[in-house]
Amino acid sequence: MAPGAVIDDVRSAVRAGSSWSSPKLGSGIGFEDVTVSYGKLVVLASLSLTIEPGEIMALIGPSGSAKTTALRAVAGFVRPASGRIRIGERDVTDLPPHARDIGMVVQNYALFPHMRVEDNVAFGLRARREAKEAVKQRVAECLRMVGMSAYTQRYPRELSGGQQQRVAIARALAVRPRVLLLDEPLSALDAQIRHSMLQELARLHEAMPSLTVLYVTHDQTEALTLADRIAIMRDGRLVASGPSQALYREPPTRFAAEFLGRANLLPVTLEAADAGDGLARVRLGEISLLVKARPGLSVGRDCLLCIRPHGIAMRPGGRPSNELTGVVRAMQWQGDLHSVTLETQGVLIRMICAPLRDPPSLGVRFPIHFAAEDATLIPEDA
Amino acid sequence: MTSIAAPAIRRTSFNTGWQWVLPPLFFLSVLFFYPLALIVRESLLGHGRSLSLSHYDAVFTSGLFQDALLHTIVIALAASAGCLVLGFVLALVLSFVAFPGARLLARLIDTFIALPTFLVALSFTFIYGSAGILNISLMHLLHVRLPPVDFLYSAWGVILAEVTVYTPFVLRPLLASFSLIEPAQIEIANSLGAGPWRIIRQVILPAAIPALLAGGSLCLLLTTNEFGIVLFISAKGVITLPLLVYDQAVQEFDYTTACVIAAANIGLSLTLYSLYRMIITRFGGFRAGLV
Amino acid sequence: MLVWSRSGRIGAWLLFSLLFGVIYVLPVAVIAIASFAGQWNGVLPSHLTFAHYARAVHSSLSAELRVSLITGVMASAVALVVGTWAALALRKIYGASRLVLDIVFFIPSAVPSVSVGLGLLVAFSRPPILLNGTIAMVVVAHFVLTSAFTYGNVSAGLARLGPEFEQMAESLGARPGYRLRHVTLPLITPYLIAAFSLSFALSMGELGATMMVYPPGWRTLPVGIFALADRGDIFESATLTVLLACATLAVLVGLSYIPTRAASRR
Repeated sequence: MAPGAVIDDVRSAVRAGSSWSSPKLGSGIGFEDVTVSYGKLVVLASLSLTIEPGEIMALIGPSGSAKTTALRAVAGFVRPASGRIRIGERDVTDLPPHARDIGMVVQNYALFPHMRVEDNVAFGLRARREAKEAVKQRVAECLRMVGMSAYTQRYPRELSGGQQQRVAIARALAVRPRVLLLDEPLSALDAQIRHSMLQELARLHEAMPSLTVLYVTHDQTEALTLADRIAIMRDGRLVASGPSQALYREPPTRFAAEFLGRANLLPVTLEAADAGDGLARVRLGEISLLVKARPGLSVGRDCLLCIRPHGIAMRPGGRPSNELTGVVRAMQWQGDLHSVTLETQGVLIRMICAPLRDPPSLGVRFPIHFAAEDATLIPEDA
Repeated sequence: MTSIAAPAIRRTSFNTGWQWVLPPLFFLSVLFFYPLALIVRESLLGHGRSLSLSHYDAVFTSGLFQDALLHTIVIALAASAGCLVLGFVLALVLSFVAFPGARLLARLIDTFIALPTFLVALSFTFIYGSAGILNISLMHLLHVRLPPVDFLYSAWGVILAEVTVYTPFVLRPLLASFSLIEPAQIEIANSLGAGPWRIIRQVILPAAIPALLAGGSLCLLLTTNEFGIVLFISAKGVITLPLLVYDQAVQEFDYTTACVIAAANIGLSLTLYSLYRMIITRFGGFRAGLV
Repeated sequence: MLVWSRSGRIGAWLLFSLLFGVIYVLPVAVIAIASFAGQWNGVLPSHLTFAHYARAVHSSLSAELRVSLITGVMASAVALVVGTWAALALRKIYGASRLVLDIVFFIPSAVPSVSVGLGLLVAFSRPPILLNGTIAMVVVAHFVLTSAFTYGNVSAGLARLGPEFEQMAESLGARPGYRLRHVTLPLITPYLIAAFSLSFALSMGELGATMMVYPPGWRTLPVGIFALADRGDIFESATLTVLLACATLAVLVGLSYIPTRAASRR
C-alpha cells in the first residue's frame, strides 16, 4: 500500500470525527530528577527532561547510555530510586504500567503470537472491557490507518517484519494512549523498509498532531528525520538536549557533535570573543577565521571548531565567509556525492559536495570556503 | 539494549508478591514436609517418650541394614556407570553417524521414560529367567540340563534393568549438548588429520562432560530411589533401602524401624540431590532429567 | 561426520542396532509376545491366544486400569495447578529466597517413593488429619511424587517465555489477572501439556508409594500387576503391563494433539 493512500485514510479518519483528538491525547511527559539504580550501580543519573504535549522527542545515545531505561521508567517497568515521573498532569511514579495509559512499540514488535492481527490490536481495548461493537470499530480504524486492513485474520508469524511493526503501532494506538513510547521501533527492519516506515511515522504524527511521542533510538538519522527535539544520553546521563536543527548545527559538546553526524572538529584558539555582528575570531595554525560567537569563552582559550562536511564548499557562499587553501589527500565518489579530504594548517578537513564532473587529483592544492554561521565553537574540555 | 538495561527486565513489578507463593507452599508443606518431619520424629521417638538415637543405633548395626545400604550404593553406582557408557555410545551414533530414522529412534528411547519401570524387570523374566528365551536356547544349543545363564536373580539383573530404564536420562542431555557441537568443528579436526577416536577424546568428550555429570548424578539419585525393578526381580539377598523400608512397614508392621531406615534413605537421596543441583548450577543448562 | 569410511559407518550402525535391539526392542517385544502367549516352554511360545486379554477385560483388573487412570488424572491435575501456581509465584521473588524455594518445590522428586508413602502413613493415621484407608491417600502420594516435575516443566516454560509479551500486555492496560489468562497461560500451554503428560505417565507407573498406602478397593494397575507376577501369573501380568503401557501412551499421544496456537513461536 502506498504511503499516500495511508495518509489519506488517516486524514479521512480524522475528518470523520473519530476519536483521534480525544482529550487524553496531548499529555506531556516529565522526568523530574529521575535516578534509576540497581543496588549500588546507578544506571540513570538524575534525569530531568520535559516533553511537551504533541511533541516528538528523540532520546538517543550509544548502547548502555540508559535511554531505554528512561523509556521503561515512563512505561513503569523500571522503578526509579528517586525522582518523579509525570504523564500529563498525573504523577505516575507509583502507578503500575497497566494504569498509565501508554502505548508502546518495541524493537522486536512483541506481537502476541497466539492471537490474530485483529485480536492483537483489540487486546488493549478488551483488557479495558470496552463494548464489543466499539472494539470492532476501533480495530478496523487503526488497521486502516497503518494500511493493514487486509491482514486482520493473519497470525503474526505470517507477516513480514514491516507488517508486524505496522500492527504493533496500530495496537499501541488503539488504546488512545496519552503518550506513545517507541523503543528502537525500526532497528529490526532492513534499510529500505526502515526508511519508508520512518516517513509513515512522520505522516501518522502529522495526522495526530496532539500525540506525544518518546522515541528511543541509537540512529541519529531517525532522530533528525522525525523528532522536534532531541535529547542525547551518555553513560546514564543527559548530556545535551534541544530542538533537532539547533542541536545539529550548534552542538554544545564534542560528543553531541560527533553523535549527531559527521563533523570536522578543528583545534583552534580564541583570539577575539566578540568580533562584532555576533561573530568571534579564532586562530587555526597560522590563519585567522571568523566564526559564530559563543558566550562564556575567554580569549586565548583552546576550543574545537565544528564544521559539518557539507558546510564546506569550493565557492564562497554566505557572508562573512572564510577561505582556506588545502591539499587534496583523499577522494571518494559515493554515487550521489563526492567526499574530499584536504589537509590544511596541519589538520584534515572533510568536505562533501555534489558529484564533481572533473574531480581534482590527489596532491592538488585549491581553496575551500565556509560561512562563519556554519562554524560553531565547542569548549575543548566538554 | 544491553548490559545496563538487562537487570530492568526482572523488576517488572514493584511489590515483591511474596504472598502468592504461600498457597502452594502450604499445600506442599502439609502433604509432604509434614509427613517427612513425622518420619524423622518417629525414628527418634519410637514408642518411647523422649528423643533418642537408640533406634538408629540398633538399625545401623544390624546386618540387614548394612547389606541393604551396600546393595543400594553398589547397584546405584554400577547402574549409573552403565547408563553413562550406554548413553554415550548411543548418543555418539545418533548424533555423529548419520543414518535415516536417527531422530525417531532417539524419540523412541525417550518414550521409555513414560513406561512403568517394572516393565523391563518383568520382560527380563521372559528373556533371562531360568525358563527364559536365552536359557532355553542355550540349553538346546549346548545340550545341558541346567540353565547356564543365572544373573537375573542377582544384583546384576537389577543393574541391567536399571541401565535400560535410566539411560534415557543420560541420553537426553547428551543429545542436547551434542547438537551444540558445530559439525564444522569435527570436519576441521578431521581435515587436520585427527581420527575418530582422537576427535571423540579431544572434541566430543570435553563438550559432553557437563551433560554426563548432570545425567550421571540424576541416574545415581533415581537408581538409589528405585523400587519397582528391585521388587519385581525380587532376587534373593538383593535388598535395597527402599525395599527394606517397605518390608519393615508392610510385612513386619515395625514402623519405627521403617522410619529409621527411611530417614537414612532420605538423607542419602537428598545428598545425591544436592550433588545433582550443584552440578547443574556449576555447569549450567543441562537439567538432565525429567524437566 | 565422525566416521568417514563406509565400513566404519556400517560397524557403528551394527553396534547401535545390536545395543538398541537387545536393550530396548527385545524387552518390549517379549512383553508384547508374552501377553499373547498360551504356553511358553520353548524358545518361542507354542501358540498365541487372546485369552489373557479377554480375562483382563472381564476381571476386576479392568477396574484397576480405571483406578489408575482416575488417580493419574486427578493427581496430575492437582500437581499441574500447584506446580504452575508455584512457578508463577516464584517469578516475583528474587535472590536467595528464590533459590531456596526453588529447591523446596523440587525436593519431592528426590525422595524415594516408598518413604513418601511411609510418611503419609505415619502422618495421616493420626489427628489432626485422618486420611489413612481413603482414596485420597493414593492421590496425595501421586501428587507429591509428580508435583516437582510439573513445577520444573512450567518453570522452564516461563523462563523461556521472556518478559516482552507480558510487559507489552501490561503497557496496553491489562491487569495481572487478565494478563495471566490471555497472555501468559496461552503462551506456555505447550509446557503445561508437557507437564501434565509427564506427571500422568509417572503416576500410571507408580508402585512404591501406592503399595504403602492403597486402601482396599482402590488398587492401581501396577499393584495388581505385581500381585499377579508375585503369584506366578507372569503371562497375565505381561498382558496388563501391555494394557497399562498402551493406555499411558494413548493418553500422551492424545494430549500431544491438543492444538496450541502458540506452538510455532518466533
